[in-house]
Amino acid sequence: MRRLLVVLGLLLVPTACYNTPDAAGAASGGPGGLAGAPAQSFAVRRIDGGTDALANYRGRVVLMNLWATWCPPCQEEMPALERFAREEAGKVVVLGIDQGESASAARRYALAHGVTFPILVDDRQEYGRAYAALGLPTSVVVSRDGRVVKGVDGPMTVAQMRAAVAPALK
Amino acid sequence: MRARASAAVCAAFAAALALAQLLQPGLPLYHGWQYALALALLLTVALTYVVPAARGRDGRPGRPLALALGGLCLAGAGGLASGLLGPDTTAIAGTPGTVVPIPALGVAAFFPAASAADVAAGGASVALRRRGAPERVVSPDGNADLGESVVFLRQRPAAFVEAYDGRGGRLTVTQPAATAFLSPVLLFRERQRIGSVDVPLDTFAVPALHRVVHALYFTPADLAAFGHAGLAASSPALVLSAADDAGRPLGIALAPSGRTVDIAGMRVRAGVGTYPVLEVASAPSPWLLYPAALLFVAGVAWAGLASRRPEPATVAEQSRTATSPDAATGGTASVPTT
Repeated sequence: MRRLLVVLGLLLVPTACYNTPDAAGAASGGPGGLAGAPAQSFAVRRIDGGTDALANYRGRVVLMNLWATWCPPCQEEMPALERFAREEAGKVVVLGIDQGESASAARRYALAHGVTFPILVDDRQEYGRAYAALGLPTSVVVSRDGRVVKGVDGPMTVAQMRAAVAPALK
Repeated sequence: MRARASAAVCAAFAAALALAQLLQPGLPLYHGWQYALALALLLTVALTYVVPAARGRDGRPGRPLALALGGLCLAGAGGLASGLLGPDTTAIAGTPGTVVPIPALGVAAFFPAASAADVAAGGASVALRRRGAPERVVSPDGNADLGESVVFLRQRPAAFVEAYDGRGGRLTVTQPAATAFLSPVLLFRERQRIGSVDVPLDTFAVPALHRVVHALYFTPADLAAFGHAGLAASSPALVLSAADDAGRPLGIALAPSGRTVDIAGMRVRAGVGTYPVLEVASAPSPWLLYPAALLFVAGVAWAGLASRRPEPATVAEQSRTATSPDAATGGTASVPTT
């Protein structure tokens, strides 16, 4: 009987530190946390017809910009983005990806504001989700081998765009 | 004999309680003191027989039985250890189309992209990828064992929301308060009490029109409880409550799954259904379970072999045999006297 009590006591000692269940939340992050990850690509429509995807630009450095016509910071950033696209045309591809709108709305905006770089329309917002966008605009630099180099939340100046793509151009 | 039976029953129950963590993972019960106490008592009763029997105090048949029951006790101890010391069950709610790293398991969970039809149909699987290892897919009706953890899916309410302007132009849907700002998939992480019903709640915005919309998720049973007519009893629906940027209410609409409704100057369509949450629960360590299974099988095999071999005769039986009429007449004595 005494031995039984000793064994029982030894088995019960750890019950003092038992855990209570709880539910933890999910992952958070943002585009900055994606550096080094493979860049996800989805086939979506272009505003000038046909389909296109980030994967089609493999082998070139890409500055992907997630934006929307209704978004004031995107509107403010667009001239700088257009200037950067023209000045770095031989080295960097600027790819604008409209989030959640119709092709006609994005086309109207591009024509009205003289945007010349390719604009894709992601009406299911797949790029926005995959790149953990915290808001618009969100920019992602993708290396020649298809990996995320840098993710930036919010609008950038031309100088900031140059600094962001510099590591990918080395 | 009675000690053997009670030890066998207790060891079997202990092993069954441990294995339940693999078959029905994630129950809060496993981390409760009642579960630990039950296992401790069962193991105590079993071990009070197993330890002396292993030393031969229950005769020859006791040793193989002690080996087999020792295996069951080892499995039970594994269950006790994981219940007491293992991490609590963790829910990982990934947005469709995103990758969520799980450093504790050394894997990344790939939550599949989902269309409105996919959400309405439910039943999505989640893929787990580890560098240098084959992909493992966790399906809604299956578990994946990852060492000292079991991974499984739990379906939770979800809705894929699409918004259009008056001319049919598509509008961006955002979730300013969620981790996935640009996801049109609502995962209903909050709840709101309405009468006696606890209803899942989520919020989305349509920034182009300056609209904020609260969405309440009603199951078919909830709809039936509220007595809403004209709805298919088999499909869930959303109750949408729209406001402008300043919080001024602009209308309420019931949006059955797949049906377009007009609200606050826009057209909204929602695929209402489910999307999985990945749950990670602790489980008995395979470093204990595999040896436990080996001990049990070895004990059963040993007992089987021992029962086929005739029991060696005792000295008293041998001396009786030597003087038996069979021996005297040259009959076959079973055991020779030495």
